[in-house]
Amino acid sequence: MIPLSHYLTLGAILFALSVVGIFLNRKNVVILLMSIELLLLAVNLNFIAFSHFLQDPAGQIFVFFILTVAAAESAIGLAILIVLFRSRRTINVEELDSLKG
Amino acid sequence: MTFLQFAFYFFASVLVFAAAMVVTIRNPVKSALFLVLAFFSAACVWITLQAEFLAIVLVLVYVGAVMVLFLFVVMMLDINIAELRAGFTRYLPVGGVVAVLLVVEIVFVLARTFSPQQFANPPSHAADYSNTRELGELLYTTYVYPFEIAAFILLVAIIAAIALTMRARAPRKRIDPVRQVQTRREDRLRIVKMKSASRTAHRDQQDDAS
Amino acid sequence: MNFASLNAAAARAEIFLAVAACAILLLGVYGDQARRAARCYGLSLVALVIAALLNGLDFSAANGSAFNHMFIADPMAKLLKIAICVLSAAAFVYGRQYNRHRGIFESEYYVLGLFAVTGMLVMASANHLLTLYLGLELMSLCLYAMIAYYRDDRLATEAAMKYFVLGALASSMLLYGMSLLYGFTGSLQLSVISSVLTADAATAAQPQAAIALAVVFIVVALAFKLGVAPFHMWVPDVYHGAPTSTTAFLSAAPKIAAFAITMRLIVGGLNALPDIWQQMLILLALLSVAIGNIIAIAQRNLKRMLAYSTVAHMGFFLFGIASGNAPGYSAALFYVLIYALMGLGAFGVILMLARPEYEADQLADLKGLSKRNPWLAFLLLLLMLSMAGLPPTVGFFAKLAVIHALVQSGLLWVAVLAVLLAVIGAFYYLRVIKLVYFDQPPSADPATAAQTTTTITEGDIAVSPAAILLLSCNVLAIIALLPWIHYLIAICNEVIRRFAV
Repeated sequence: MIPLSHYLTLGAILFALSVVGIFLNRKNVVILLMSIELLLLAVNLNFIAFSHFLQDPAGQIFVFFILTVAAAESAIGLAILIVLFRSRRTINVEELDSLKG
Repeated sequence: MTFLQFAFYFFASVLVFAAAMVVTIRNPVKSALFLVLAFFSAACVWITLQAEFLAIVLVLVYVGAVMVLFLFVVMMLDINIAELRAGFTRYLPVGGVVAVLLVVEIVFVLARTFSPQQFANPPSHAADYSNTRELGELLYTTYVYPFEIAAFILLVAIIAAIALTMRARAPRKRIDPVRQVQTRREDRLRIVKMKSASRTAHRDQQDDAS
Repeated sequence: MNFASLNAAAARAEIFLAVAACAILLLGVYGDQARRAARCYGLSLVALVIAALLNGLDFSAANGSAFNHMFIADPMAKLLKIAICVLSAAAFVYGRQYNRHRGIFESEYYVLGLFAVTGMLVMASANHLLTLYLGLELMSLCLYAMIAYYRDDRLATEAAMKYFVLGALASSMLLYGMSLLYGFTGSLQLSVISSVLTADAATAAQPQAAIALAVVFIVVALAFKLGVAPFHMWVPDVYHGAPTSTTAFLSAAPKIAAFAITMRLIVGGLNALPDIWQQMLILLALLSVAIGNIIAIAQRNLKRMLAYSTVAHMGFFLFGIASGNAPGYSAALFYVLIYALMGLGAFGVILMLARPEYEADQLADLKGLSKRNPWLAFLLLLLMLSMAGLPPTVGFFAKLAVIHALVQSGLLWVAVLAVLLAVIGAFYYLRVIKLVYFDQPPSADPATAAQTTTTITEGDIAVSPAAILLLSCNVLAIIALLPWIHYLIAICNEVIRRFAV
């Protein structure tokens, strides 16, 4: 059987990959949004693994809500992205530098 | 190695590979497609944890709806891919080191706490167990309050997405039937009484004008 | 279980506000553009006032819970909810004229605002990791949209994007910490988590390193949400870029909601582990007060300066939580309420000074304000004195309460540093007063210049007297509350004493 720690390791790898993806990404906001989706996927994996090993469905319920919120979040994120692109004609992270100080 | 173990390690490696591609590849379309692969493998991993309902929801909602939305936006925005490709490898070594350190730390701490001795694999559910039924019953009874809040979150997403992206177009010319039938003759037609002028004077006026 | 066992009546303010927001959303579809926005704006104010009253009715009732202990009704929740509703309504009133001039006076803006307030109310009463997270997201999603609502503005859209990405990152970190906490304790209920951790601490059966990891994730996420250094980088950008009406909204009620989740998570859920989070909070608070106060000196933009001042104030309120005792929590509660009042007042003054095509957000714009607009100049004087924490204002007593709590819990060196950093902070507040009272106004007054170049009628420009009146009440409260200050502190003590775990 697969021990819990292997699921948690998978979750940790996904989490680290997407956090680094967010900070490394200097060029494209769309990929930033996708990294956020990956980040939530890592969290979901943790919750489901704990839920399975604790034999408690509450963790799965939590994942259900995280999926709902993530869908809403990506809709709003993409809407902001479209507004941003319309006002700037770019989604390059490095060019979003009007706010400084 | 049992089939379950094979399935887990296979899909887990595909998941890590796809996730790495999502964050490193520069073309947003390819990135989105790798994210689809990542979601699909994650769904398979969830099935090894007997979370069938969520696995199916992940495929339906994410691959079916959210990723299509992503792809749609990527296609809609006219992005210069060649320009986006440059200047990424500069930060890659630092990022790689940070990622590895983060994983090692988290795993080091977690593996000791959640060891197989403390968290044994639970017995499998009976053959007639329905994951969907169990979650559904909880969702509409114990978790009715969060369920309502989630409904409002979705409503907010709808309002925000429409309010932000819908552009008010220039005022359109349209007919209002109510006002149309209410018009009176006086509004449209004006009868002007004019004195008839002499022909020569009229011609003079025309000459002046030209 | 049946419907009666849900005890849904305890959440009547949230239910009313959510239903009212839906009704206003529908009402906003009918009628012509200008009239329906005004109607929705008015109805939103009414809804917020009624929601505040619904909370105030049974303020001193016994602690209750609803929805299978996911919702908790204690005096702290009620006090915070009243403050959230009232301050949000005031932010709407101040921003009305500003929004009208910038084409964001639309019904949907106010509907989003009402949903954001609903989210804050949910946070204030959250007794379950799930409701806490959902309340937080309901608020945050509305705030992102309200910032981006100024669609044609480059700064606003950029600010919205930055806030969105960092906010989502912080939420994910919070969730990761929550998932570990769930793994350790096997529950999502904050009261159960607290009792499991307390039992573990008693038997020393605790996996110290692992639980510390969970606490680190949660504290970092909260620091992001509170805007505490070194996780404050979004605060100045968002405060500066957002339309000032939204900044005013952002600076008041969400801070109170952030206080609520900090109390619920750290003091309510993790109260068995003070030795893990206390050090972290002290470090965050010190950094925050230092960075906020020092970088604020270098700012030329008034909104950015106030943003850094927010960072410093949030650090100060964190000192209260970090002291780890009841007087500290009470001081933090008092501080955050007073700060919300002051922050809202300061952005209110900027909103009153703003004109079409003129944001009034540069420090130079304030030069000689006392000659142009003596009353607003006087209000700004009071605000700056109070934010700096000088004696004849409530800001002084708020700082005093926090310092006192720090000394009581034996953190004398932290208290000394806090006082020193507060003195540094006084500099840039006093500089604003100098600009307002002692500098000559620029030869061409930008406000009047903007008025003459735009072809908007005089009646449209004049700020409504009601807004000025409300702002005056808001700011004058800073000294008018002084005779009752002990009464207010007693309320905060009582509320914290009955804080439900």
